[in-house]
Amino acid sequence: MPTERRIRAFPVAVAAILVAEAVLLAWNAWRFDWLRGYDAYANDRYADIVSTEYRLPSEAESGTWHTPPLWFALAGALRRLADAVGWEPVQRPGQLLAAAAGLAICVLVFLLARTLWPERRLLQLLALVLTATSPALLRASAMYHPETLAVALGTGGALVAIRGLKGRMTIPAAVCAGALLGLASLTRAWALPVLAAVVAACALDGWRRRHWAPSVVVLGSALVLLAPWLVNQQAAHGSALAFNRAAPSEPLLDRRPASFYLGPRALRAFGHPVTPLFRNELLPHLYADWWGDWALTWDSPPPPAPAGLLPSTVVAERARQAWVGVVPTLLALAGVLALAILANARRSAALAVLPLTAVGVAAAYVLFAVRFPSTDGDTIKGTYLLMALPAAGIGAAFVVDALRPRGRAWAIATVCAVTVLVALQLPFLVL
Amino acid sequence: MTDRRAARLGLVGALVFVVAQLTVGVAWSVSHDDPTVLQLTRRCLEREKGLAVEPPIGDAVAATARGGALRTVVEGNLVTISVAASAAEVERLHAGYAAPGDPGSRLDVHGRYVALWLREPSPTQRQATYDCAY
Repeated sequence: MPTERRIRAFPVAVAAILVAEAVLLAWNAWRFDWLRGYDAYANDRYADIVSTEYRLPSEAESGTWHTPPLWFALAGALRRLADAVGWEPVQRPGQLLAAAAGLAICVLVFLLARTLWPERRLLQLLALVLTATSPALLRASAMYHPETLAVALGTGGALVAIRGLKGRMTIPAAVCAGALLGLASLTRAWALPVLAAVVAACALDGWRRRHWAPSVVVLGSALVLLAPWLVNQQAAHGSALAFNRAAPSEPLLDRRPASFYLGPRALRAFGHPVTPLFRNELLPHLYADWWGDWALTWDSPPPPAPAGLLPSTVVAERARQAWVGVVPTLLALAGVLALAILANARRSAALAVLPLTAVGVAAAYVLFAVRFPSTDGDTIKGTYLLMALPAAGIGAAFVVDALRPRGRAWAIATVCAVTVLVALQLPFLVL
Repeated sequence: MTDRRAARLGLVGALVFVVAQLTVGVAWSVSHDDPTVLQLTRRCLEREKGLAVEPPIGDAVAATARGGALRTVVEGNLVTISVAASAAEVERLHAGYAAPGDPGSRLDVHGRYVALWLREPSPTQRQATYDCAY
């Protein structure tokens, strides 16, 4: 009987978490001022131009012209609809689209964990909770911004690929994975490392089985969707991966000072983790922005002008977030490493997808941040790394589940610890 | 390779990474002090405005400012500038100066700075201190 009760309790717990997450994401999207999201005005111009003039914006018309158009087309269509029915602000449906994508990410991470470890329910639950309470995900899900849709599509592509790689990858599965990853790349360029990771994992599997077709099909079906965009960028802007500013001419390694790589003010991230401190110091800046809100765009007054004072609660709340993030960050790093070690030891392409994704996204991001240095630090944002969230969430859950002593008492203790972690974050996560 | 062994190895690798970053942070904070707001203000007044800056001796209110305080003369007008660490402290310093009698426009609050001028400051005198606000 107790076992039966536990079997029934699991889907109830999962459903309750997802319902709570849906309410939280919708609430935040409703409350968050769309203009405070990253590139909000430029995003709105892009969405408006795509949906009313059926063309891409020029460099002069939108600062986000370099971003692929899928989200803007959807948000633009919703914008027109809102305009037609008199819904104000007309950007709100775009924010709700980002929130829906945020919820989809949580569902997909749960399904990923379930696909990789079908018997380990605590692991699945932990992966879901750690993802659902990620501050970077919650912030991005409230913004008028394409990031969460790209992550949802990319994670969907990874899920289909991992399901295929668990057995024998079929051509329809490869087409589906490639299409989802192509759509993700047509939403944000950060999906390209995920596409590369999935193709690499499929190629590794193909090499072992002497069956190359799936990797070729994944890449081919993604490129069918993506190629027109890349060709347009190459033709119109001189680079398939053009950005909204020219890269400096000096050698790559001379573009950032040593402090960018070393992060000497890392300890300040636990005392005063907001702008302008440790600006452009990669790790502390990213860490503070992932767990908190370095640039002060979330539930706070705008960054003060010179001489201005921030309310002490704003800094204290973000400092608490920085402390809360220590253990999950350590577990996430450990998890990505552990999955890589395990995938290598077991020659498992399915297990390799997530660590390859995390490493690919991190490497692409560092290259981007070095290639395009900015004095105001606007190329360093936690949300840029959201594509690595599924790997981080599942990795952390794997480490906890693998290292915890067996037995019901320890399972309950783990759940209690995670509940405390979530409770500590709630004041920051709820707008 | 068991899951537990992989997780342990991953944890060791992550710890090495985190400890390396923290070591850099600790080494930096032991060997460097980031300038305080007061130091930045003093440096600006001295180097960019060419003013002589000294400690505000005998000012009981300025002595309690958590961000420190300084005294200088701008275009012949003596000013004591206190740096507050919070909005509540700005209120406290303001109230401290206003307690003996209302100083009127001689008392100027600008963000974290509370400035008491000897005489009512001219716009250019006030602007000189605003230019050095951080």
